Amino acid sequence: MDTERAVVPAALMAALAAACPAVREGDPAADAVTGGLVPAFAASPASTGEASALLRTAAEYGLAVMPRGAGTGLGWGAAPSACDLVVDMTAMDQVIEHAAGDLVARVQAGVTMGNLASVLASAGQQLAIDAPADATVGGVVATGTAGPRRFRYGAPRDLLIGITVVRADGVVAHSGGKVVKNVAGYDLGKLFSGSQGTLGLITEVTFRLHPLPAAVAWVTGDFGPSALAGAASAVTSAAGSALVPSAVELLWTGPPAVLRVGVLLEGTPSGVAERARRMAELLTAAGGTPVVAISETPFRWWEQDAESGPPGTVVRVTYWVRQLADVLDALARAGASAGIRPAVGGPAGAGALYARLDPAAEDDTAARFVRALRDRLSGVFAGSADGSGLSRGSMAVLAAPTAVLAAAGADQPVPGLDLMRAVKDQFDPGHRMCPGRFPWGR
Amino acid sequence: MQDADRLREVANDCVHCGFCLPACPTYQLWAEEMDSPRGRIHLVSQILDGAGLTPAAAQHFDRCLGCMACMTACPSGVQYDQLIEAARVWTEEARPTLAAPADGNRRDRALRAAIFALFPYPRRLRAVTRPLRAAQRTGLDRRLTRSSLPGRLPPALGAAIRLGTSGAGRLGPSGAGRLPERVAARGPRRAVVGMLTGCVQSVFFPQVNAATARVLAMEGCDVVIPRGQGCCGALSLHSGREAEAAAFARRTIEAFERAGVDAVVVNSAGCGSAMKEYERLLSDVPDWSGRAAAISVRDLSEFLAELGPAAPRHPLPVTAAYHDACHLGHAQRITRQPRELLRAIPDLTLVELPDAGTCCGSAGVYNLLQPEAASELGARRAQAVLDAHAPLLISANPGCSLQIAAALSDRGEHVTLAHIAEILDASLRGLPPPTAR
Amino acid sequence: MVAMTTAVEALVPRMREICGPDNVVTDPLDLRTYECDGLTSHRSVPALVVLPGTASEVASVVAACAAARVPFVARGSGTGLSGGALPREDGVLIVMSRMRSIVEIDPVSRRAIVEPGATNLSVSKAAAPFGLFYAPDPSSQVVCSVGGNVAENSGGAHCLKHGFTVHHVTGLQIVTPSGELTWLGDGSGVCSGYDLLGAFIGSEGTLGIVTKIVVKLMPLPEVVHLLLVAYDTTSHGGQAVSDIIGAGILPAAIEMMDALSIEAAEEAVHCNYPAGAGAVLLVELDGPAAEVGAEMSTVRSLCEAAGATEIRTADDPADRAGIWAGRKSAFAAVGRISPAYIVQDGVVPRTSLGAVLAQIASLSAESGIRVANVFHAGDGNLHPLVLYDDAVPGQAEAAEKVSGAILDACLEQGGSITGEHGVGVDKSRYMPRMFGADDLDTMQLVRCAFDPASLCNPGKIFPTPRLCGEVPGHRRAPHPAVAAGQAEIF
Repeated sequence: MDTERAVVPAALMAALAAACPAVREGDPAADAVTGGLVPAFAASPASTGEASALLRTAAEYGLAVMPRGAGTGLGWGAAPSACDLVVDMTAMDQVIEHAAGDLVARVQAGVTMGNLASVLASAGQQLAIDAPADATVGGVVATGTAGPRRFRYGAPRDLLIGITVVRADGVVAHSGGKVVKNVAGYDLGKLFSGSQGTLGLITEVTFRLHPLPAAVAWVTGDFGPSALAGAASAVTSAAGSALVPSAVELLWTGPPAVLRVGVLLEGTPSGVAERARRMAELLTAAGGTPVVAISETPFRWWEQDAESGPPGTVVRVTYWVRQLADVLDALARAGASAGIRPAVGGPAGAGALYARLDPAAEDDTAARFVRALRDRLSGVFAGSADGSGLSRGSMAVLAAPTAVLAAAGADQPVPGLDLMRAVKDQFDPGHRMCPGRFPWGR
Repeated sequence: MQDADRLREVANDCVHCGFCLPACPTYQLWAEEMDSPRGRIHLVSQILDGAGLTPAAAQHFDRCLGCMACMTACPSGVQYDQLIEAARVWTEEARPTLAAPADGNRRDRALRAAIFALFPYPRRLRAVTRPLRAAQRTGLDRRLTRSSLPGRLPPALGAAIRLGTSGAGRLGPSGAGRLPERVAARGPRRAVVGMLTGCVQSVFFPQVNAATARVLAMEGCDVVIPRGQGCCGALSLHSGREAEAAAFARRTIEAFERAGVDAVVVNSAGCGSAMKEYERLLSDVPDWSGRAAAISVRDLSEFLAELGPAAPRHPLPVTAAYHDACHLGHAQRITRQPRELLRAIPDLTLVELPDAGTCCGSAGVYNLLQPEAASELGARRAQAVLDAHAPLLISANPGCSLQIAAALSDRGEHVTLAHIAEILDASLRGLPPPTAR
Repeated sequence: MVAMTTAVEALVPRMREICGPDNVVTDPLDLRTYECDGLTSHRSVPALVVLPGTASEVASVVAACAAARVPFVARGSGTGLSGGALPREDGVLIVMSRMRSIVEIDPVSRRAIVEPGATNLSVSKAAAPFGLFYAPDPSSQVVCSVGGNVAENSGGAHCLKHGFTVHHVTGLQIVTPSGELTWLGDGSGVCSGYDLLGAFIGSEGTLGIVTKIVVKLMPLPEVVHLLLVAYDTTSHGGQAVSDIIGAGILPAAIEMMDALSIEAAEEAVHCNYPAGAGAVLLVELDGPAAEVGAEMSTVRSLCEAAGATEIRTADDPADRAGIWAGRKSAFAAVGRISPAYIVQDGVVPRTSLGAVLAQIASLSAESGIRVANVFHAGDGNLHPLVLYDDAVPGQAEAAEKVSGAILDACLEQGGSITGEHGVGVDKSRYMPRMFGADDLDTMQLVRCAFDPASLCNPGKIFPTPRLCGEVPGHRRAPHPAVAAGQAEIF
């Protein structure tokens, strides 16, 4: 809040209401953000025009702004250092256009993934992103959420072909369009994907769609607790296979539990059956003595799909798939040295794994784990260094209690950090969009 | 030949798509636009528009191998050969006044003068190579190749020695192996053909000429080998020495007119390519282009494929790779016929070379005038030959054979080289395949 | 001939130091050979050309330009079709073609690290022994550079199913416009922080110069089937395309060519397409054998139902290559049937293809300017080739008008002015027809973050040069361009 300006709250409320009628005072129960901050105001724009006016007003008064969809992703990232206005996008929940013949859909940011899925399914189509059903499209894009099928279809940024955003100063901007092939101008959609609300407000997104498959099958292989190499080999073989899997997942609820590799195949019923049979053979041949099964039941590594609220400590590791066994080993040893069993899982074939610690874990245990893992991973990645500075992997604490974050130390800076800061400074010179959200403290 | 309007039209066919760049050996070496066909076409256009020829531009023209791989790659059908020929003429004319690096200096001028005083004259060439023949008889040539002497001489002289002693050419005793003026057809006569004996071919590879005559005879041709036939002018034509080339062309046409043949069969790719250009070369001399057009020129493999096989082929159990000479594969678009002929030989296994169609660096006398570039290209071609793991390499051009043999021996490697005529000859006569020489 | 500017002249010794004297070009005829890329209607002779050999040489070159406030433009193979590599007369052209090696292939991780001057095809060739390939395949792939592909976010015939360059690049080492080397992304394919990779790819060389590229490699498909289908008209072909997509099938590629482009391709490469066809469709299916077989029969019957006059299939690589040769040679081949042409790159929603093709046909009829059509039918990306003879007075202008009208038609249908060739200099004047002033302003924010001094490939993409804010605390006279009303301080 711009404290130099002595503003009567009532006047501020009136100004906001003039921009966006659906504005109210912040409610501690409904609007508190991580760290306990309660915003002074919460507004629900019904259109891009209202959102624009709202942010313009917020800019005039120097308010710190935080966009919010369904709130499923709010616990991620560092706690914001200030929040005066929450912009609730759930009122903008229309599927504006579904051009089935073109496999394209244009939606408002507040549409839930579940609603969108049923609209698209009625034409036999889908948006190929795995995300909680009650998460909003805008939130999914802003957090870059992607589940198992990231392996084949990518993250939200790979499926996004057009976007409408409102800048921190209230200006509305578009990029991309309604067609998949489009290289006109810079791709703001990519830039805003995963930006976690720190560059501006997303109000509309256009996606490219895929046909719904006629049949699916999950092929799983369970590897014994010491068969790290076998499990890693199964993942790399499946990922490099011409059977074209849609997902290559790994679940390991900490040693000594079993490592489960799960491969998703989509296609025609007979095609899927044949490919599943061959994938089962491939997993069997991978080494160790896996127990292999084929099923239609989705393989979930993360049972907290619908959970919102603070997820405990979650660390994401990215790597080149060749180093998977080393990464798993690092996770096991870090857990052992901290005395805790992390639940490890994720799109292992796509180069990412998440390690989740029990939310009830002690803060210093969690911090010890994070530090130990960071040490071991820096050895793993340094081993493949070529001197050019390519990091070949990363570790990021995606969520953690404040005390853990403080004790665990900082993540390695991401490549291109200076440029990211420059981009932030251009889009939000006042640093009012989700201040403090990114680890580098803006 | 130098009609500026015609040249401009040819240059305007280029749409600047760049498909020629990856096909061009000098672009592969240096990655510079000016040493790519697209860039050279652009230089030609600039000069046609009035720009003066700079030493740098002249050097880019000199560095062009004339391999015509770009013409094969070009989707727009640009007749690059006409443009580079014109460019070479401009360069030759300007050479005395050009500063370095366009070889305007005295040593390079002397080298060019020596080359053109020597190569188009078989008798002189034979005389000059007498010391080399002696070296071969005594085995000195092999010691010379293995010594560091060639590397310490000026590059051109070193290259010449390497080429001459590479062992590919067995310099026949002078006078021996001289071909008769007419060789009669074996069996029913199907054609009367003239045969070009060539300069480098007749001096370094007289056995190839002998084999060619025999093969043609065995396939039912009367072969006429005019005695004073002289040089076909290919080296001069491909080096911008227009008047000299035209003079050689006229003499060659006359020699074969007198012979009264259905076609002139050529066993050297560079020569065949040049002779097929006679009509255009002499287009502004009255009478002569008509006389040129009346001469039917065929490469040996082209002719035999057209004629169709008559004599039975005996097995040649050997694995061989076939090297496409640029003036055969690109300039004359003859790639299918030699392979057809070789595949028709029982028990002969033909393997393809990687990067087929990339110049070996011989390119006429390029390997003497641009020795570093030629050496690099020769090395690459030698590696491709080694990668094919074939003990025998078949070529259709004497220059290529010398160049590749030299590059192989530089690496201490050896592969048997033979001309396609020698392979056919061995098969038709029921002889074993040529062994290491 | 433009004399070298003093600022650039002063840089020559430093450039010779950095790149080696053989890799600095100053001869006026030589410089002129770099005056354009694949778009020959725009030419501009660079003041200087340098050919660096390593990433640190590139960084030093850029730093020298930045210190001297000299603009610079990067160039790959010079095959771009929007003038993205058009040099500046007052600037340095940095040619990347010497940096062309495949640095590393990691088949287990399915990644390769390549230098920007490597040709697109050379990546797939290097990956082939490992059973892998690099999916984006522009028709010029034998010569176009991967760095250029990154700049333009190139697609190619197979991007319908497999995506564009942005979907296949997981890391970039760049030289920033101030001359610093930095990596974007870690190569894994999972993004941390802002997606600068996604913003950089397709930015047409205006945000920095790529010096290393980490690409994703894909397993070669188990089977590939290609159908060549002949139709009497493009409408019939378009119907088949809609039916195929409507059946839930996503082929690897669907291309269409009309009669005029078939004629050109035939002359160039003798592809032997069905004689007399009004249109041909190339439909390529790839994937696991267990799926493709069923897809093939469905596609076949749909093609027949739409009125196919002939269907040919090809399964082995040599046969397929022969059929593709016709399509891939189409642009350059058109030079055989016309002295000059403009190649356009509009996109429309697939369902609007028929309408736009009809509009193009009537534009052509009205103006008397022939238009050959080649297009990625699967994603609505058209390449109308507007043919003209510049020797005939007025034809060039008429062709320009038809060209612009085609783009307008695409925009009316909710499409785009460029699907893969980029905006460059060729289409910057159309940007305001597609985007509003606020949209272009916002995009320029990204430009200002990377290149506040506006030295990196300036004048491309955006129609009006805009200057990023002055350094705070320094007072200067108004920039001449601002005073002249030609630019805005942003």
